[in-house]
Amino acid sequence: MRPRNLLVAFLLGTAIAAGLTLALRMGSEVAVPVRATVLPAGNALPPFALLDHDGTAVDNTIFEGQWDLVFFGFTHCPDICPATMQILMQVKMKLAEQNQDPMPRVVLVSVDPERDTPEIMSKYVSAFGDGNLGITGDLSEVSKVAAALGIYFAKAQAENGNYSVDHSTVVLVINPDGRFQALFSAPHRVEDFVHDLPLIMATQ
Amino acid sequence: MRYYALLAFVFVVAACGEQIGPPVVASNIVVTAPASGMPMAAAYLDITNRSGASIRITGVTSPDYESVEMHETTIEDGVARMRAIPVLEITDGETATFERGGKHLMLMRPVDTPDVVTLNFYSEDQLLLSVNAEFTAVTD
Repeated sequence: MRPRNLLVAFLLGTAIAAGLTLALRMGSEVAVPVRATVLPAGNALPPFALLDHDGTAVDNTIFEGQWDLVFFGFTHCPDICPATMQILMQVKMKLAEQNQDPMPRVVLVSVDPERDTPEIMSKYVSAFGDGNLGITGDLSEVSKVAAALGIYFAKAQAENGNYSVDHSTVVLVINPDGRFQALFSAPHRVEDFVHDLPLIMATQ
Repeated sequence: MRYYALLAFVFVVAACGEQIGPPVVASNIVVTAPASGMPMAAAYLDITNRSGASIRITGVTSPDYESVEMHETTIEDGVARMRAIPVLEITDGETATFERGGKHLMLMRPVDTPDVVTLNFYSEDQLLLSVNAEFTAVTD
């Protein structure tokens, strides 16, 4: 075969191979989050000064360096809060079974800092697995962070003197840059987190 | 969510010792143990009324907790709200379901550390139903 014919054959073969590869890629489904709402650029958190469950002062940097699943709740909540924490614990277990790397941390921010001391937060978050973080502190600081993240909460006084706290049920995803990257709306299902989180976390 | 019955005994009595017809039946009882040191627990169950008439549950007590309240969690526009249920009416043949994210019993301030929790359901001063249930870990 003449050199010119060889070149034409090579170019033709390369073009066919490239076309087949492109067709295969276009034909295959690209996995995307099915449940989470993702903010492509991520939103910055406002500056804050709060306490972790050891009573140590923390600021925005507490959210830097790892992926966080953040839920705003309170320890005197007997129903929806432990149910959500239980789901997040199961999510971590499932992700661990899949050898997910990196693994997210679960963070509970108290919307009832009046009763949720660091000591109580420590006992509570540790009941739902290792490595969890509890955050509490000054109510105005919690309110500032919550407002910036679109989290609603309000004390609901009962007739018998007890009170509950109405609160948003979303689980927020904070990226390792400390930016609000995504959210999961209720109802929460383990399989939704297990499907979406690796895709979200693969973006960084 | 794993619900399973831990019913130890259920009985129906009426004031003055009279039985009020067919039983009021409890099933699928789960009492979640509070996290360490926490004063709150929650209980979930189904209550089926086969008494032939409507029943009104006006209060729940437990010798193991200072206070027990019927509550209902609702989620509206992404916000969870928990409110007390003063009276729960169950018509004949109906089942009232207490489940996570819905109706539940809030058990407040344990008086001891029992292995088994007793719950007594009243209509005014009339005992309708008494159940015993073991704790389930909150993480189960």
